[in-house]
Order: sequence, then C-alpha cells, then structure tokens
Amino acid sequence: MSTPERRAEVAVGLSFLVTAAAAVGLAVVYWRGGQPQLEGLLLAVAFSGLAYGFVTWGQKLMPPGPVVEERHTLPSPPGEVAELEEDLDRGVVGRRTFIVRALTIAGGALGVAALFPIRSLGPRPGNALTTTPWRAGMRLVTDDGTPVLAADVPLDGLVTVFPEGHAGSADGQAVLVRVRPEQLHPAPGRETWSPEGLLVYSKVCTHAGCPVGLYQADDHTLLCPCHQSAFDVLDRARPVFGPAAVALPQLPIRLDGDGYVRAQGDFSAPVGPAFWSRR
Amino acid sequence: MSRSWTRRRWAAFTLGPVIVASAGVWFVPLSRAAVAQTPPQATPRAGVVRTWLADCAVCHGSDGRGSDRAPSLAGAGAALVDYELSSGRMPLPPTASSTTKTRRHQAAYPPAQQRALVAYVVGLTGGGGEAIPTVDLRGADLAAGGEQFRLQCAACHAWAGDGGALLHREAPDLHDATPVQIAEAVRTGPGTMPAFGQAALDEAQLNGVVAYVRYLDHPTDRGGQPLWHLGPMAEGAVAVILGLGLLILVTVWIGEREPTP
Repeated sequence: MSTPERRAEVAVGLSFLVTAAAAVGLAVVYWRGGQPQLEGLLLAVAFSGLAYGFVTWGQKLMPPGPVVEERHTLPSPPGEVAELEEDLDRGVVGRRTFIVRALTIAGGALGVAALFPIRSLGPRPGNALTTTPWRAGMRLVTDDGTPVLAADVPLDGLVTVFPEGHAGSADGQAVLVRVRPEQLHPAPGRETWSPEGLLVYSKVCTHAGCPVGLYQADDHTLLCPCHQSAFDVLDRARPVFGPAAVALPQLPIRLDGDGYVRAQGDFSAPVGPAFWSRR
Repeated sequence: MSRSWTRRRWAAFTLGPVIVASAGVWFVPLSRAAVAQTPPQATPRAGVVRTWLADCAVCHGSDGRGSDRAPSLAGAGAALVDYELSSGRMPLPPTASSTTKTRRHQAAYPPAQQRALVAYVVGLTGGGGEAIPTVDLRGADLAAGGEQFRLQCAACHAWAGDGGALLHREAPDLHDATPVQIAEAVRTGPGTMPAFGQAALDEAQLNGVVAYVRYLDHPTDRGGQPLWHLGPMAEGAVAVILGLGLLILVTVWIGEREPTP
C-alpha cells in the first residue's frame, strides 16, 4: 500500500474516532446535568469529524473520475419503419376530429369546475376595510379585557385600548391619552369627542400599518417606530413628520355614569394605510 | 529657550502633585464639615430651605411655581420629585442651559436630605400628585412583567431596555434604574415619557414590569453569546456572515478533488 493512501486512511479513521469521542463526551455532559454551549460544541465536533472523514474518504481513497459510460444508439428495426410508412400511405392513421372535440370539451369543463373553489376562499370581505369592531356604547378595555376607568388615566397618561369583547383586535386597537383640557382646541364637529381631555386615536399607522405606540407626552406627539411618522395629538392627530400623509382616525368617546370610557361609534375614518377609494 | 522650557516642565512635575494633594487635604475635611453642619435631624427645616434656595429655586422659582427656565412643580407629587433627585437628573449642573438634557447621575444629596427636600417641595407647592410607590418584588410575575414590558415599554426603551431614539428626543437605558425609580417613572411619566396609571398597569403588573426591568440588567442569555443585546438584526448579520461564509468554504472543500496522478 502506498504511503499517501495509508496516510489518508489513518486520517479518516482518526476523524471517525474523534466523532466517537465527542459523542461519548456529549452523553456524559448530558448525564451530568447538561450545559447548552458545551453540548452544542461537542455535537459540532462529532459532526465535523464525520464530515471530514467522509469527504477525505471520497477525495483521497475512491478511484479518480470522472467516469463516463457512453450510451449506444437506439434505432428502430428496419422492418418496423417500413410498416409504419406503409400504414401512413394506406391512411390507417388519420385525423380523429370527434375525439379532439370531445377532449376540448373535457378540458374546458375541468377548467370551469376549477373556478368554483373560489367560493371556498372564505367569507366575502364586505366593508371590513372601512369598519372596525367599535360600536356606539362599547366600553374601552385594556389588552386583558379590563374596562378603562377615566379616573385611572393620569394627566399625560397613555393606555392601549380595545373594543369591549374584542381585546387584541388588530383594526380596533387604539391609544387613549389624557391632555390638559385647556390645551385642546377640538376641530369643528369633534367638540364632544374628548371629555376631560381624554383622546382616543387609532393605533394603526396610516403609512404602513405599524402600531403607533410611542408617545412623547411633553410635546403631545404620537410617534410610529417603523418610519418615524409623527402625529400631533392636540390637532386631530395630523401628521407633522415622516412619510404618513393621513391623520390617525379619532374615536369619539364619552364617559358613562360609573366613570367608564365608552365609544360614541366607530372611528372618524377607515383605519390603517390608505387604499384605493381613499387618498 | 530650551532651558526655560525644561525648568517650567520641572516646575509643573513637582508643583502639580503638591497643589493637587494640598487641595485634596483642604477639600476633604471641608466637605465632611459641610455635611456634618447640616444634619437633617438637627435643623431639617433650615437645611432643606437652604438647599431649595441654593439648588432649585434658581430655575423653579422660590415658590416652586416655575419660571421661563423651568416648569412649575405644582402637583408634581412626591414620586416625580423623588425620581428626579434620586436619579441625579436634578439638580442640573451650574453650567446647564435651557437646552440641557437631563441625564442620570450620582444623586446629589444623601438619602435623609433628599427625603426632606422631597417633603419640602411637595408641601411648598400645595401637595397633590403621585406618592412614592411601594414596590414588592417578592411575588412579582416575571413572565407577565415581560409581556407588559414588550407591550408598553419596549417601543421606546427597546426590547433589552437599552433605550432608543425618538423624535428630537431619546428614551434612556434602564439598566441603572432602581426598582423604586422604575415604578416612579412608570406612574408619573417624567419628561417626555407618558404616565402609566392604574388603567394601563395595576399594582401587580407594575411589580412584574419592575422585576422584568431589573432582570434585563443581567438576563440569562440562553444562546451563550449575547452579542451586546443589539437585537435580531445583529444576530442575523452574524448568522449570515459567519455561518454562510463557513458553509461556502466547506462546500468548496467538498467539491475539491485530488488531481489524477
């Protein structure tokens, strides 16, 4: 046996033994209580040993290639060729118009039938883009479903709220903030929407739909973490910075006799990014 | 020229340490004396009024109703005043201007003096505001606290509590905050931060959040290498550059063949 081949054989054998040793080590470490990093390292050593062994085996000990087996030609026997030519001459193989038409009908029917499962894609979207779960009289609740008491929201306070019974709702999520009532100059038509300086705006950014969860209380700015769109809470959540072009929809609210915050209806506009019928 | 330079340098080398040392000798007993002269229990009222007038009234006004340099402290409450003083954000250094950002420093006053000052400021401005919250971490639910942290805090302070950029502002990192300071900040919303009242976090949830923020200072990094807690982007970059690079090298090695002899 030549020396390089012998060397390669020893290297392959040794790397497999390394794998065996690492596997034993892995079992021991696991048995003694485990240590994730050490276990990972031993597993990596075990597989590396296998990999080194296999590749070296293939590269150094297998016969060198590439080996190509030429394929022989596959002609039809001369007799068959002559028979086919004879059949064509006699018109045995002809056009089958009836069969072709029937096949067209079959294909067409299958294609039409394949359109019917469109019905199974789910309920029709309807006006889901323009409405949210908010209804008049619904209480505002937190993410765990607790109704929000107005007295529990301090000045400059921030609470993420949902429609009662829809905690976690993606399009119904909103932010409730409290500002000084004297700082607030509600837009015409929105005078009754912000009792005691409490304001609720949709939490879904009108730019790309991220949660507008950052509130700078000292300058009354809601900030979107994705693209830094900023909205002025005191002025209809008008965009004042960043790519958003549309104000956050406002949720009209009122306080009930027990001090809970309730919605007067749905948002002032469809929530989220603009779509085709909206600017 | 060179001789006078050498002489001056010698003078600096010899005299410098002497001056520094003598200043230290003078300064240490003086500062000790200053603390000893105003023990809070002996003359609390006089001491705290002097501190108020010397360090706070310059900007907040002698009646605490604010000036064009600083906001009114009316209704600030014990929690907010204690937060600003204990985290060293107040008083501002004498060099501060109206644009100086408040940052965490060593607290300026010893605890007793700080307590007296908090009580004095709250009394001066007619009370009100949030009392210093009590934090109980013994029964705190760390997992639920983490949930609330990611819901309500992580947007600004980042997922590992390292802080982050806002619009012309920044959210500070939370690693040096004490449990009481965290609770005070949550309840009162100092500076840019909004306040989180009972509606946003009840007492149990607040305890959980405080426990989680403290946990973030020494998290158990299951993966071994935390990569400075830079987040999923950093981890992804390491995976792509190191992992894929290594895979490419291995692929090249596997495809290699010994030249046929």
